[in-house]
Amino acid sequence: MPTRPVTVRPGRMTDVTGTPARTSPAPALIRAADVDALVVGVSLLGSGGGGDAVTFAGVLRRRLGDGEIALISPDDLPDALTGGHVVPIGVVGAINVLTEKLPSGREFRDAVAAVTRWTGRRADALMAWEAGGLNGLSGLVAALDLGLPFVDADLMGRALPRLDQFTWAVRGRPLTPCALAEPSGPILVVDSAEGADGAAGANATGLERTARSFVASAGGWAALALCPTEIGEATRDTVTGSLTRALALGRAHATLDQAPAPEAVADALDARVLATGRIVDVVREGMGRGFRRGSLAVVDTASGAVLRLEAENEFLLAILDGELTASCPDLLCVLDRRTAVPRAVERLRVGDEVMAVVLPGPEWWWQDEAIDHVSPSAFGLDAPAVRTAVAGTPVVHTGGPR
Amino acid sequence: MTTARPGVPLAAMLEHPSWQDVTVLAGSGGHGDRILTGAVVHAELSTPFAEVAGPDAPLTGRLLVVLLPGERGDWRLDTLLRRAHTAGAAAVLLAGTEPLRRASHALAARLGLPVLGAADPLTAHSALNLVTAQPQLMTAETVIRTATACQHAGDTVDELLNELTTLLRRPTALFHHAGDRIAGQRVLYGDETGAVAAWLGGSSAQHPVPRLVELPSRAVLVIHPVPDTSGAGPPYWLAVRLPTALRAESDAVAAALSVAAGAVRQRLTLRRLGLERSARSRASLLGELLHLAGDAPVAVRRRALDLDWQLDGWHTGVRIGVAPEVDVAGLRADVVAALGAEELDAAVVEQGDGWSAWITAGREPSGIEVERLAGAIRRAQRRLADTVGTYVGVGRVHAGPEGIARTLGEAGDAARLAQGRAATGRFLHVDRLGLAQLLLAWTRTDTFQPAARSLLEPLVGESGDLVRTLAAFLDAESSTAETAAVLGVHRNTVTARIARVQQLLGVDLADPDERLALHLACRTALTSPPPEGP
Repeated sequence: MPTRPVTVRPGRMTDVTGTPARTSPAPALIRAADVDALVVGVSLLGSGGGGDAVTFAGVLRRRLGDGEIALISPDDLPDALTGGHVVPIGVVGAINVLTEKLPSGREFRDAVAAVTRWTGRRADALMAWEAGGLNGLSGLVAALDLGLPFVDADLMGRALPRLDQFTWAVRGRPLTPCALAEPSGPILVVDSAEGADGAAGANATGLERTARSFVASAGGWAALALCPTEIGEATRDTVTGSLTRALALGRAHATLDQAPAPEAVADALDARVLATGRIVDVVREGMGRGFRRGSLAVVDTASGAVLRLEAENEFLLAILDGELTASCPDLLCVLDRRTAVPRAVERLRVGDEVMAVVLPGPEWWWQDEAIDHVSPSAFGLDAPAVRTAVAGTPVVHTGGPR
Repeated sequence: MTTARPGVPLAAMLEHPSWQDVTVLAGSGGHGDRILTGAVVHAELSTPFAEVAGPDAPLTGRLLVVLLPGERGDWRLDTLLRRAHTAGAAAVLLAGTEPLRRASHALAARLGLPVLGAADPLTAHSALNLVTAQPQLMTAETVIRTATACQHAGDTVDELLNELTTLLRRPTALFHHAGDRIAGQRVLYGDETGAVAAWLGGSSAQHPVPRLVELPSRAVLVIHPVPDTSGAGPPYWLAVRLPTALRAESDAVAAALSVAAGAVRQRLTLRRLGLERSARSRASLLGELLHLAGDAPVAVRRRALDLDWQLDGWHTGVRIGVAPEVDVAGLRADVVAALGAEELDAAVVEQGDGWSAWITAGREPSGIEVERLAGAIRRAQRRLADTVGTYVGVGRVHAGPEGIARTLGEAGDAARLAQGRAATGRFLHVDRLGLAQLLLAWTRTDTFQPAARSLLEPLVGESGDLVRTLAAFLDAESSTAETAAVLGVHRNTVTARIARVQQLLGVDLADPDERLALHLACRTALTSPPPEGP
């Protein structure tokens, strides 16, 4: 039985000229026709990783049907939700497996049901815990499935590979209790994940370990629903408006011509173009399950400059002519030269014509106490975070290591 | 010390033996004129430069040697290349010779920064510092090793040169005065040979000091004279080829050659002694053979056996004469080689101004075989012409031990006649001349000579060397082609000259009487000098 979309406000959506949606006072609305733009947007937030959003695009389009869903801003909650509880939701595991093993539609429902039953709290709304890549869409699919409103706040603001990179974990908040639901049926409720020492971040890393062994023993991925939390409390330490931004990026992207000029891309996406040219080198090395280290090099056709991108699931570090020029948590993206569509790290091959760009990452991460969790050094790369000032030169972040 | 130090071109360093395991990994387009002023060791990719170079010794112009560059895929390699470039490093040397990733390669090319690889970067580092900072130490070390090598090398010049080549890791050769390489490797190519030969010919060995000869190809020849063993003859030259003029290396090699020159001379003297000792033993045995009456005594036969001489059988004697100043003992090997090249297995003995040789056959050779043998000897003589000018006489075939003395006697007479006969290529075979030669002796009498000269008087003073042309024409049985070949002029020239001769003398060369008279007159006019005075 198809679930009815929760919020239906015909006539209030974005006009047909493609002007980016405004986030306030009216929440952005997503219809089936917006899914393509949203896919481009969450792929840009995916920074080359986060899983293939296209897999979920079809599911989302079917769930939307003729209806629509609102991206509710936490700063502008409808009265009905005030004081209600929100469940952050998303997919963990080898998300590439999703392409082969599609969701049955039951996983999100099972996970939310388990965590609400365990905690005894209702789920009044859903939010995503990751905004980049596939999980940018999975929360919307779950909200439509469960008939719940969707709050546009998340725990990453982009795609990141580890659970200890949840904003809550960075703030020292526990991620438990939570529930994992696996597509073939098993459901796991994790009440606590701390080790005996109770060290900072131990909760997140403990949960990471538990979640990984669970998905490894089952289908390779699972829906993860965090504890239902009072909305004001839940969204206090989050990145807000990520999907609204994704939608705006996607719509701006849709205005680009075929094989757009670098300046046009920079203007439309508020990005800085690092190089436009051919990929001359791709190196991949397996780094265990789900983690793939890699590197690629692009030679700029016009200037001959050599751009090197280091990646681990996502693009982490950009080195232009041997100098650090941009890094995570800013969004390093590689676009197809012809269509300007963001390409995933693992899909890139030597000889591809591409445009490498960097978009500003979520502001939240540039706080001094947060940056160490997402700078290149957090991924074992011996480099500080380099912040992109879009109109100017990159700035090495002083809060990062060295 | 911060003062500018003289540098070494990177290209020269790459050709230096101490850097033979250093390879260019990238940026090869830009290394041509790079000058390295020294090397700095850098432990790891991320080490700050201030720690390796220090404020007093900037990285500028130096080679940055990275001992632990990690994997070639490490992105920090790219940042290191950029930092090195910015700091002014002349080049970067990485441990290991694995190729760079494309990204690093492209970056090095873009920066114009040569990136080198070596299995043992520390050795390359010390070698460069030795060359740039302590060239004297390098020279001293080379000299000591050369002295040791000279002591331990074998007794021959070849063994010694091999040892030097290994030690210097450069091709080494020994030349004789005018540029003939007599031992060692090839050190000259193409046009260089002629230029260097001219240079050697014009140089004296008065001062036994090494010299540098710069070749057009950027290569350099370090040359050191080795005095002749007698101390009077033209010198030998010891030469080492260096691919580039790297001062530190040429100094070291020059010093090494000064040491080696003495050792080479000692080897040459040893060889000379050996040659002369065996020459004396051969000459004394030949002396006994020449004075044999009857069969050879047992003692003579035994000594002949030692020298592999066959006393029995049919012998054809060959006398090869040379100018008095020729080193007969030294060139014997060339004579044997020239005869050997014509498949002539001859006993060759140094005797006076030349060599006496004979070829022994098991049975009496036929007329055709004798002709063939004479032809082969003549070709051998032409081969020798490159080394030394000779006149050759060949005797008739004689049998047994005493036959050797007889055929050599005839060969000696023929050789004496051949000496004055350029027209026959200074070669005479007694079988061909026989009695005719005796008759010819009559033409040398005082009564015939004035008559002959007046007969040819009209030709004297005319242009075109008519007397010689006429003599050659008659010698060649009136063949214009043969005459032209002997004189080295065109056939038509011969025809024209002969026509002029007939006109001037008013003779008809078809008349046998006139031909005979003219032929005898020519022979006399050419073999005896004209009288003095008007």
